[in-house]
Amino acid sequence: MDKMVALVIVERAASIPDLDRALRDGSFEVVHRTPDEVVVDPVHGSAVDVVLASASLGLQKIALLSRHLNAGTPPPTLLVFPEEGDYAALESCVRSGFDFVAPPFLPTLLRSRMASCKERGKLALAVEELAAAASLRQYEQDLDIARQIQAGFLPETLPSPHGWEFAARTRPARQVGGDFYDGFELVNGRRLGFIVADVCDKGVGAALFMALIRTLLRHTAEHTGGWDLHDAEPDVGADSAVAAGTALTPLLALGAGPLVQAVVGTNRYMAKNHLRQGYFATLFFGVLDPVSGALLYINGGHNPPVLARARGGHTLLQPTGPAVGILADSGFLLHHTSLDPGDSLLVYTDGVVEARNGVGGQFGMDSLIDIACGSAPSAEALLDRVDTGLHHHVGAAEQFDDITMLALRRTAVR
Amino acid sequence: MSFRAKSTTDDGVVTIRLIGDLDSRSAPVLNELIAEIDAQPVRRLVLLVDELAYLSSAGLRCLVFAHQKMGRGVDIVLVGVRPEVAETIRLTGFDRSVIMQDPVET
Repeated sequence: MDKMVALVIVERAASIPDLDRALRDGSFEVVHRTPDEVVVDPVHGSAVDVVLASASLGLQKIALLSRHLNAGTPPPTLLVFPEEGDYAALESCVRSGFDFVAPPFLPTLLRSRMASCKERGKLALAVEELAAAASLRQYEQDLDIARQIQAGFLPETLPSPHGWEFAARTRPARQVGGDFYDGFELVNGRRLGFIVADVCDKGVGAALFMALIRTLLRHTAEHTGGWDLHDAEPDVGADSAVAAGTALTPLLALGAGPLVQAVVGTNRYMAKNHLRQGYFATLFFGVLDPVSGALLYINGGHNPPVLARARGGHTLLQPTGPAVGILADSGFLLHHTSLDPGDSLLVYTDGVVEARNGVGGQFGMDSLIDIACGSAPSAEALLDRVDTGLHHHVGAAEQFDDITMLALRRTAVR
Repeated sequence: MSFRAKSTTDDGVVTIRLIGDLDSRSAPVLNELIAEIDAQPVRRLVLLVDELAYLSSAGLRCLVFAHQKMGRGVDIVLVGVRPEVAETIRLTGFDRSVIMQDPVET
């Protein structure tokens, strides 16, 4: 077996005769260094088994040395000793938790003391690792709870009116994410609201804002009655929802109130209370009249949904306003379109089109439009096809962003 | 996809050159830089982005964050925005809060 190496650290590279002798008699190889030499030349730190530091170096210097030496694996055992009878310095080190040896220095006593210190060091290290593992487990448990709670912020079921199919799915890149979808009845079931939203960024921060924004949108939409011009908030802006709303036919206008109030109200709330945190959401909020197929919507800075026509061709529902929460005085326009039998609407988040393969190539709009226009037999089948396309594109690459999709399809008349 | 950001300050005009992908992995780098800059008096923040290849929503959040931190009196100017990046900014409507410029020939 190799000789054990003992590193003796004193301010001047002087020898401590009785300590050195005892170490050598205990068959240690003795190396002397000043504290500065140890810091400049860390090679010795990893090759030594035991470090003996003079208590006269002072507590601060010894603590620094200890941190420095602990970088080695396994870290050497560190003990302090009194130099020239400086027991006051030794006491101060020992009070701070350092192990020590004190004269008379006898080979057997030294060896046995070092062995027990080494064991203690190993034990302390093991306890530290256990504590780290336990706190990691705690984080994982917390995250898992967060994931479960977040799942509760998604609708258990989507509306299923006669002649229509809704399908939706979401996959966060991490345990929790900032994407969500929603679907619910409005105005006593005469309209259906649906939302796909993407809170910027991902992970826990985005998830907290997801919970807030989802709640604000849904709560406001469900608690706003039909469209009444006198209800309009004055700061909606002349070129925005009011102006657009006046052009609506009475039948279309029925769902406009909840839609506008939800988006404008959420934007105002976010800008007023959370502007400093810099979070915002892009969203597509549609209100469908299941009887006529008319669709009112606001696109707040969101990737344009693809409306695929049964008769061929497609339309992209471009933004009608900025992202929600970016500016207090944002104006949102209300747009409308309609779905005929066999038409389908695919709403998605940027995690879909920006999904990357191993070499960084994005899935892209063109691929998505191809699939959306591929006349899938059902809303669910359409989402399956997008997933298959994504799977082929991404391959073994890690999912980088939250992925969320919602498909709405008007079934063909028999 | 690596990311680099380098900042210089000249009489209240802070210039940051952004290179690579600005996404959730690299956003903290820029956020830190912006927090540092915010400690000094700034009149104008110029971002040289001709070598910025990708801007995710987390990256855009950095810019929104900078805009909100520095307040309305500070112009944020993006110079040499690539079409893909411009599309992301335009889509979210943040183009109304910043000034986008073509690179100046030197």
